[in-house]
Amino acid sequence: MISLLVEDNPGVLARISGMFTRRAINITSLTVSPCEKRGLSRMTVVINGSERELEQVRKQLNNLIEVIQVRELSSEDAIVRDLCLLKVSAKKEQRAEILQLAESYGARVLDATLSTLTFELADEPRKIDRFVEIMRHFGIKQLLRSGICAIARD
Amino acid sequence: MKKNLSGAEIVLEGLKGEGVEVVFGIPGGALLDLYNMLYDEEGIRHILMRHEQCAAHAADGYARASAKTGVCIATSGPGATNLVTGLATAQMDSSPVVALTGQVPTAAIGSDAFQETSTFTLTMPITKHNFLVKRTEDLPKVIHQAFYIASTGRKGVVLIDLPKDVLAERVDIDTDVHVKPPGYNPKTEPNIMQIKKAVDVLVASSEPVILAGGGVISANASEEVRVLAEMLQAAVVTTLMGKGAIPEDHPLCLGMGGMHGHYPANKALSECDVLLAVGTRFSDRLTGWKTEQFAPDAKIIHIDIDAAEINKNIQVHIPIVGDAKAALSAIIRNLERRLEKSGGTSPRNEWERRVREMHRMCESCINTDGDDMLSARMIKEIGRILNDDTIITTEVGQCQMFAAHFYMTKKPRNFISSGGLGTMGFGFPAAIGAKVACPDRDVVDIAGDGSFLMTCQDLATCIENDIQVVVCIFDNRYLGMVRQWQELFFERKYAHTHLGVTPDFVKLAESFGCYAERVERPEDLREAFKNAFESGKTAVLDLIVGKEDKVLPMIPPGGGLTEMIGVERCNI
Repeated sequence: MISLLVEDNPGVLARISGMFTRRAINITSLTVSPCEKRGLSRMTVVINGSERELEQVRKQLNNLIEVIQVRELSSEDAIVRDLCLLKVSAKKEQRAEILQLAESYGARVLDATLSTLTFELADEPRKIDRFVEIMRHFGIKQLLRSGICAIARD
Repeated sequence: MKKNLSGAEIVLEGLKGEGVEVVFGIPGGALLDLYNMLYDEEGIRHILMRHEQCAAHAADGYARASAKTGVCIATSGPGATNLVTGLATAQMDSSPVVALTGQVPTAAIGSDAFQETSTFTLTMPITKHNFLVKRTEDLPKVIHQAFYIASTGRKGVVLIDLPKDVLAERVDIDTDVHVKPPGYNPKTEPNIMQIKKAVDVLVASSEPVILAGGGVISANASEEVRVLAEMLQAAVVTTLMGKGAIPEDHPLCLGMGGMHGHYPANKALSECDVLLAVGTRFSDRLTGWKTEQFAPDAKIIHIDIDAAEINKNIQVHIPIVGDAKAALSAIIRNLERRLEKSGGTSPRNEWERRVREMHRMCESCINTDGDDMLSARMIKEIGRILNDDTIITTEVGQCQMFAAHFYMTKKPRNFISSGGLGTMGFGFPAAIGAKVACPDRDVVDIAGDGSFLMTCQDLATCIENDIQVVVCIFDNRYLGMVRQWQELFFERKYAHTHLGVTPDFVKLAESFGCYAERVERPEDLREAFKNAFESGKTAVLDLIVGKEDKVLPMIPPGGGLTEMIGVERCNI
C-alpha cells in the first residue's frame, strides 16, 4: 500500500497508472482525491507484489516529476477504509433477516424498494469482504467498492 | 518586466534563454506560427531534416557529442509519431533532448481533427517528462522547466506539446520565470557514510575492477575513473555506453564487457573481489542471461544518479546515489587521506601483473592480422586511419558490435551508439547532430547496409547545410546480426534477413550530390578516406565485406558471462 502526494495536473493519473503498466505490475486498488493542500492530490495505491517489486515501484514513482511524496503504508501503521455500495434482492420473507444482518455490520440503508435494498458500508476492506459474502446468499444485484483510502496513524 | 509577445515568440525567447543555438526540425500546419518567427530569428540556426525520426536522432547526437541539450521540432500527428523512435532512443540512453511538437488548436483537441494525435499520452512512457501547454501564459515556466528536467539528475527527454492557438495568441507577460517543479530534486551529492564504506572495501580488496558505464560519460567523470584506477591498480571494464570513459589503450583498460565484449573484460568481471560499478544499469547485454555468474564473488559498489537503478537488475552491497563525478571525487579524496595515514598504497603486485597480462590479451583479441572476417579487418584499418579526436557514431547490429569490439576509443563522447533501444538508422542522423555540435572534428558513421537505408534520405540535409560526415557502409547484403543468430542458433535458416535488392550505394549517394566510393580491400581504405575528407562533402564509402562475417566471441542465448563462444578467434 502506497500513499502518494501528487500535483493535481491533467494527465497525472495516466502518468502514474502508466508507470505500473510499463513495469508489468498489477494495481489492486487506486483512489485519487483532493487533499489538504491546494493544487495537490492524494492517491492510495494497493499493489500485490514482492518486496523487491514494491521497492522498484516506490523508486520509480519518486522519479516521476509530478510526484511530491511517496510513502509506504502497512495496515498496522495506517487507518484503512473502503466504501461499498451494495444492492441486494430482498424478497418479503427475507427482508427482516437482511436488515438485521446489515445492522450488525453497521451498514446503512440508502434505498429500499419492494424487491431490493441498497446499503452503504464504509469500513476496513476485510470487514466489507465478509459483509459482501453474506449478502451473496440473498442475491446481489449490483456491487461497487470505491477502492482503498488510507491515512497514516501518528 | 512585462512584454507583449505571441506564444511563438515566447518559445523562441525561452530557447535562447536556455542557450539553444541550433534546432533540428520539420515544419507543419500546426507549427506555422512558430516557423514564421523562427525564419527571422538570427540567434537560432534551424536545420531542416528530411524525416522527424532523424530530427530526434540529430538532436540526440548533438547532445551526446557536446554535453549540451539537443532540441528537435516536429508538427502534430505524423510529425510527432515519427519523432517517437528517436525520442525513445535518447531516453533509453539518458541523453538530454527537448522536443517541441505542434498540436491542433486546444478547442479541437479530442475531435479527431486533421493531423491530430494524442502526443502527450503517446510520449508519456518514452520521456522523462512531458507537457501539454493549454495557456500561452504557462509557456515561460514550461520551457524553463523542460530544459532543467532534461539536463539535470539522470538526463533524459522532455517533450512540450504546443497547440496552434497557444503559439498564436499574444499576451502581456514576464518571461523571466524560474519556478522549479516542486516534486523534482535530483540528488547529486553522495552520502559520505556510503563513500567511507566503499573506500573500506576498496582498500581491502585484492582484485578490484571498475565498471564504467554511460553515466561516467554523461557526468564528464572520465578523468576521475582514470585517477582512481591508477591509485588502486584496478582493472577498468566499460559498457557499450561507457566506451571512451578511459582511453582503451590504457594499460589498466580491458575493453568492453558483455555479450559481444572482450573476453578478458568478462573474465575480470567474473573473477574480481570488488566491483565498483559507476553509472551503469547492469543491462542484460552486459550481465548475460545468468546473472548469478555476474561478479559472483565480488562485493559490489554501485554509484548511480538514479536511485531506481540500485538493486533493479543486480543486487549490490554498497549503493551510492549521486552524480558519478561527485561520488568518484569523494572516493578519491577519502582514499588519499586514508593512504596518507597508512603510509602509501598496499601493493597489489600479483593483481597488477595479471591486469597487464589481460590487457595484452585484449590487444591480441582485437588483432585482425590474417583474420578471415573482412569486417573486422576493415574496422581495424579504419581505426588506424582516423585520429583520436574523430567522433564515431554507429548504426545497430553487426557493424555496431564490430566497431565496439575492434575500434579503440581514446576519449569520452567519441563513441556514440544506440545502446538501450538498439535503433537501426540512428548512426547517420546522430552523426549529423555530432558534426553540427563539433564542426572542427571528423565524424564517421559506421553503418550497415540494412540500417543505412532506414534514414539515408537525410543525405540531402547534409548537402544542403554543408555538414560533412563520412558514412562507412559495411555492405554484406544481409541484416547481419539477425543472420548471425540464424546461422548459429537456427540451423542457418536465413528467414527474411537477405536483402535481395539493395541499391547501388555509390550511385545513390552521388544522386544526392555526395562523394561516394566503393572499397573492397582494407588496404584501399586510407586512400578512400583521403578522397572523402578532401571532397569537402558528405561522403559514403561502400565497404564490401564478407556475407557471413560474424561478430565473435559472444555469449550465446541463455549463457552467462563466462560462457562465451568463438573465443578461439581471440588468439589466446
